[in-house]
Amino acid sequence: MIQLFHVSKYYDRRPALSDINLQIEKGEFVLLMGPSGAGKTTLLKLLFGAERPDDGQILVQNRNVARLRPSDIPYLRRTMGIVFQDFRLLPKKNVFENVALPLMVQGASTFETRRKVAEALKAVGIDHKKDHRPATLSAGEQQRVCIARAIVNSPIILLADEPTGNLDPHLASEIIESFKVINARGTTIMVATHNPQVMAQANRRVLMLEQGKLIADPKAGL
Amino acid sequence: MRRLAYLVKEAMTNIRLNRTTTLVAVASTAFTLACFGVFLLLYLNLRGVVSSLQDDIKVVVYLHDGLSAQGLSDFQQRLRSEREVAALSYVSKEQALADFREQFPSESHLLQGLGENPLPASFVVTLSPRFRSSEAVKQWVKRLTTVPGVGQVQYSRDWIENLATLVGFIELGAIAVGGILSAASVTIIASTIRLTLYARQNEIEILRMVGATGAFIKVPFLLEGAVLGAVGGLLSLAILRGGFDLFKLQLGPTGRFLGIESWLNFFPGHVSLWIIMAGLALGFTGSLVSLIQFGRASS
Repeated sequence: MIQLFHVSKYYDRRPALSDINLQIEKGEFVLLMGPSGAGKTTLLKLLFGAERPDDGQILVQNRNVARLRPSDIPYLRRTMGIVFQDFRLLPKKNVFENVALPLMVQGASTFETRRKVAEALKAVGIDHKKDHRPATLSAGEQQRVCIARAIVNSPIILLADEPTGNLDPHLASEIIESFKVINARGTTIMVATHNPQVMAQANRRVLMLEQGKLIADPKAGL
Repeated sequence: MRRLAYLVKEAMTNIRLNRTTTLVAVASTAFTLACFGVFLLLYLNLRGVVSSLQDDIKVVVYLHDGLSAQGLSDFQQRLRSEREVAALSYVSKEQALADFREQFPSESHLLQGLGENPLPASFVVTLSPRFRSSEAVKQWVKRLTTVPGVGQVQYSRDWIENLATLVGFIELGAIAVGGILSAASVTIIASTIRLTLYARQNEIEILRMVGATGAFIKVPFLLEGAVLGAVGGLLSLAILRGGFDLFKLQLGPTGRFLGIESWLNFFPGHVSLWIIMAGLALGFTGSLVSLIQFGRASS
């Protein structure tokens, strides 16, 4: 599903990622751990095409992301769901409209949009707030909306960058449970976090990054 | 279809939310097109006047007093056979005097002391359309002055040509003013859209993350620019119409302009449509320029 071969990325000649080799199978739930500045966010950005590697190759669903034309990147992202620490919801749109956004950009019909948004909201337990604006929701609810938006299009891969970073332990636990449910339906999930609680609760394969290097990956014998 | 409706709705929402910048963009486009429109109105009306004067161009052939009745008849026959002549009318000495008295009643005393009628008989010649160019008229008049019995030949070509030259200058002025103000308008609309783009940077980023193509992101901004430009064009037409009607109203009662106000016309329908389309094009171009600059800055 996801393969990285000798991937490196530099910012101002300083390595953010160095010689990363990685393989993630379809349906896996992987935690990307490491302190701040270890390169977790950079690795996720490389996967959804927000950055290009300076060295190496990245295959996502057998597509070489490093060689994708800019005009092809939107189509790669339509197969993915992305969850951010800061939620990134549109403040002037209500919950329904925010979640419907990925369907809207693909030109889904009204009927399909209503059905899929209702399913996604129900899956994260926030369907009763579909008419609310993000500002009226708690942080945990906003993160659920963000997750609903990420899964509304039934993505093959879900990438989450510090999804529990702004949440208290109880809410963080609920979010991880939501991810487990989504993963159980077959979606490949990669969660970048530095929260040990997440690691303990998820109890899945852990990739450890430090200063841009992959220092622990049980599957690769590291 | 649903996607298009969404994009149009986004553009309209944006216009509604950014009222001040929207007003600035519309006002600047309206001002630009109104300035250009003033030149265009002047140009089109003067061109109409010149064209109608050219259609009406006449050559007056004055005859020597001593010309016999036979000589007059021969000369009339000769004129009729000329290719340049479309129509011909004879003005006798008596008729010329009567015309003078009628046209200048206060100056008729000037002729009283002279005893005999000093005004010559003449032929008033309307030229064929093919021979109304400046050069053709000159050549024909030159040939005519050598004919025995012909005194002087007068025609109003020169001042009509001068007026045509003036119209040409106005045309150039309209193009220059239009060009400069259009560039200013594009810049102002581009700045307006750029402000919107920066204000909505987060939204654009989110759209990118959920798989929106460049076209999906850009279309609402292009629509917004086009709508602002078209509204500016409409407003400029309203300003021009108001100004034009006021100008005509001011000209009417004075009676000092030889009834010129009855010659003045506002833009015909298709020119008005072109002005609105020009506004739309200016707005669209402004948005496009802004999107290109924003794309460079954000990449």
